[in-house]
Amino acid sequence: MNRIDTTTIAAIATPPGRGGVGIVRVSGPLALTIAKTITGVDPEPRYAHFTKFFDEQEGIIDEGLLIFFPNPHSFTGEDVLELQGHGGPVVMGLLLKRVLQCGAIHAKPGEFSERAFLNDKVDLAQAEAIADLINATTEIAAKASMQSLQGKFSERLQKLYHRMVELRVHVEAAIDFPDEDVDFLGDGVIEEKLKKIIIDCDVLQQQTKQGAILQQGMSVVIAGKPNAGKSSLLNQLAAKEAAIVTDIAGTTRDVLREYIQLDGMPLHIIDTAGLRETNDAVEKKGVERALCEIKKADKIILLVENLEDITLDGATPENTIVVQNKIDLTGERPGVTTHKNYTLVKLSAKTGDGLALLKQTLKQSVGFSAPSEDGFIARARHVDAIARSMQALQIGLKQLQQFNAGECLAEELRLAHNNLGEILGTMSADDLLGEIFSSFCIGK
Amino acid sequence: MSNAGFDIIVIGGGHAGTEAALAAARMGAKTLLLTHNIDTIGQMSCNPAIGGIGKSHLVKEIDALGGVMAKAADRAGIQFRILNVSKGPAVRATRAQADRQLYRYAIQQVVHKQQNLTVFQQSVEDIIVEQGKAKGVITQTGIKFYADALVLTVGTFLGGVVHIGLENHQGGRAGCPPSNGLAKRLRAMPFNVGRLKTGTPPRLDKRSIDLDSLQKQYGDTPLPVMSFTGSVDEHPEQVCCYITHTNKKTHEIVRESLDQSPLFSGDISGRGPRYCPSIEDKIHRFADKDSHQIFVEPEGLNSIELYPNGISTSLPYEKQIAYIQTIKGFENAHITRPGYAIEYDFFDPRDLKQNLETKFVENLFFAGQINGTTGYEEAAAQGLYAAINAVQKIQNKAEFVLSRDQAYIGVLVDDLITQGAPEPYRMFTSRAEYRLLLREDNADLRLTALGRNLGLVDERRWKTLKDKKEVVEQEFKRLRSTWVQAGSEQALAIEKNMGAKITHEYNLADLLARPEFNYQDLIETVGLQAVSNKQAAQQVQIKIKYAGYIERQLDEVAKHKRHEQTKIPQDIDYAQIKSLSSEVVERLQQQKPNTIGQASRIPGITPAAISILLVHLKKHTVAA
Repeated sequence: MNRIDTTTIAAIATPPGRGGVGIVRVSGPLALTIAKTITGVDPEPRYAHFTKFFDEQEGIIDEGLLIFFPNPHSFTGEDVLELQGHGGPVVMGLLLKRVLQCGAIHAKPGEFSERAFLNDKVDLAQAEAIADLINATTEIAAKASMQSLQGKFSERLQKLYHRMVELRVHVEAAIDFPDEDVDFLGDGVIEEKLKKIIIDCDVLQQQTKQGAILQQGMSVVIAGKPNAGKSSLLNQLAAKEAAIVTDIAGTTRDVLREYIQLDGMPLHIIDTAGLRETNDAVEKKGVERALCEIKKADKIILLVENLEDITLDGATPENTIVVQNKIDLTGERPGVTTHKNYTLVKLSAKTGDGLALLKQTLKQSVGFSAPSEDGFIARARHVDAIARSMQALQIGLKQLQQFNAGECLAEELRLAHNNLGEILGTMSADDLLGEIFSSFCIGK
Repeated sequence: MSNAGFDIIVIGGGHAGTEAALAAARMGAKTLLLTHNIDTIGQMSCNPAIGGIGKSHLVKEIDALGGVMAKAADRAGIQFRILNVSKGPAVRATRAQADRQLYRYAIQQVVHKQQNLTVFQQSVEDIIVEQGKAKGVITQTGIKFYADALVLTVGTFLGGVVHIGLENHQGGRAGCPPSNGLAKRLRAMPFNVGRLKTGTPPRLDKRSIDLDSLQKQYGDTPLPVMSFTGSVDEHPEQVCCYITHTNKKTHEIVRESLDQSPLFSGDISGRGPRYCPSIEDKIHRFADKDSHQIFVEPEGLNSIELYPNGISTSLPYEKQIAYIQTIKGFENAHITRPGYAIEYDFFDPRDLKQNLETKFVENLFFAGQINGTTGYEEAAAQGLYAAINAVQKIQNKAEFVLSRDQAYIGVLVDDLITQGAPEPYRMFTSRAEYRLLLREDNADLRLTALGRNLGLVDERRWKTLKDKKEVVEQEFKRLRSTWVQAGSEQALAIEKNMGAKITHEYNLADLLARPEFNYQDLIETVGLQAVSNKQAAQQVQIKIKYAGYIERQLDEVAKHKRHEQTKIPQDIDYAQIKSLSSEVVERLQQQKPNTIGQASRIPGITPAAISILLVHLKKHTVAA
């Protein structure tokens, strides 16, 4: 007999890499419901349906194949759903996110194999191998998680986490010690703290630009005077990359966009009309648009021929990489230096000399330190956990304000805390009590 | 009385022992209760109260399983309050200030009336163990008693050392001898022994206190009741408690005397409860607070003693007098018994199985303070649970396990056997992750049917439950099928009385889900008659108000169910599982969890380790 799990798990099943085909695999009782929800297709068993994958607003995430394997004749022995789309972290990430929205949870490392084994789908002799796989992938996932928890993101997250613990300490103290002088639910202290945390959490969501960049891709504007070599640079950056999507809606003939991937990091590259004073009405419009794109961009690549030309409205050392092109003509060596606080990359868009340096600089500038799919998934998990925490916090606030239900707020906080705990480590009920006793003088 | 032929022997007549003995006897087992003093059966040896946050949940569960604690509280309670009234029903808790004498009398009355139960006064010196199985006991005077299983509840300060100032002496609870012989014998067994400490405040002579100057704290009206089958008529005369506060002068004296406190001199090594700090601790650790609350509790209707809750101490007697007399209302206080700290032994509850049977000696069960818990309620809950399991065991019946989503008793036992007791364990609602499911009000609905199957629940209690269930069901049906149309007379009445807009057709259940409505008002506003069964009416309202959360928590329970039900064979050799880290192996080897669920709650056991364990178990069972 099959031991069908009550939880439905999902993960990107294809190995890290760009381009080609990617698979999101789902296993568990919700598989069929998820298939119907995302595609509208009521799938025939083991039949490849060509279909569109929709997000919750019915926007199209991707299109590809859907295959449903009802239990017990599947990889894990449970109901299994495979969604095959265009590979690459962005699309796969969005697809996975959608599946999780529908009630699946991220698979633990090795969990598909574990379920397969537990359902007699894998040879007994492979038990050790499965155990090793679980160990190895757990380690990789832990490393990836560590990597994606670097820098400012981590700092803010830690801060949020600690404030959440502090809030729980106040709420639980008010519940478990009503005779003491700690009725924070009644005196408004908790509501204030909760509101502050919601703002923090919101700011964190907004500010995890890295997360957003990895989700949607970073937009990079290539700017410069006419004939500075913008198009050549765009072609050089795009030429060697596999995935190409052109003609995204909204492109105009004077602002050209390319979607490329840099070692798995998605980039929207916007080639702008040359920036110069002009009286031509059409060209003027083009220049206006270019300036508008520059304002919205995550990063500007400013092409110059000589260093006196670093003059562009909105360009700062933080958002701009200056590229001195045409070293094939001047005979200079490619390299990365700084000039007036700007990062300066010397290269030749024509020969490709120094191009690798630019790519690396671009990646570093957004802290893209985990180029593997593992890193991407780790970050996606974190963004997901924060979103779920935020949701619980907001319901909690409503429970407090409308129903005055401290115990329901406590329950929402427990969930929010558990969600962040998936990233930063969980805390036992006893640890929490310990925090209460060290924060307040309690006890008869 | 014959020395042989008992099914169960319960050793110890405290709160664990009495519930244990009564439960075993109710289940039909021939039971012997051995105590060193028959007169102290049911004695409340610390503060005179039953219930309170988390604890009352245990009391109601014991009651739902036919136990005696709630009934005794109803007969002895001289002030009843429901705590957390301003919060939701899941965290509301009943607390009864009890008259010590009345409480003891109520317990003893039940014990003496109980069929199948024999009481005998003798201290137990030794346990008879043959081939790893407990067979009986030997008393102080050498009498041997034999039984199929033993429930040991002698935790009241095993190997106790009492500290007052820098003086200390061996002793049990003030006035009681320590159970040294048995403690010594147990320590010779392979149990892991730990040391804990706790403290008490000095008791005061009521006649020397200026009660008029103290803030009064009255009980609730209407008067709460503890037992599901109890009634207000059982309550004795009601009195009030008092509140006063320490002040700067008090703190000065305590601070200057810290060097004479064994807590600070290093004389005490056992760990004390963090939730019950001594006045020395409070003043030392929270130096910025210049006042602490003291609850002044009467010890009984006829007692001249008061229990000043909140100022336990181990300072020398003369310092106790000095600081007590700085407190408002206590200026001329006479101390009747000095406060003291006591260190005592406990046995690491991680050496117990989930039925509270010891892992080293079969048919030997531990319950109560011996397991590192504190509090009458925690003790009683374990006594009941251990005795049920002892009877089940000797009758070759299935273990009686309560899970964490079923009862606070389940949380208590699971916490003890997976986490141990690094400090005296006390129940709090925050320990229960399914807090919204485990409420006082539904303890009977959760447990009484289980108790009935075990033979613990009498006809009267069973009928009370059946009536309640039926009324709840009927009332749900009525609420769901009674519709209020927009613009109707009823809708207008609701809008007028309750200030809510009725924009289209609703049934009463939907309306009751709104925060501004309560059952009684809504029913009356639409011109219907509320059900007369108060418990049932309350149940209807709570279930509707919590509906979303109840559903969500039940989902969570279902998700964990499989792990909770996956048993781990007790002969498993964790060292054979290559992929587990040595740290994980060591912890599992030491605690030998019964289920995957328990394993996952042992500190340091990672999700990956659980996966590997599952894979191994599968291999194990297929290969076997």
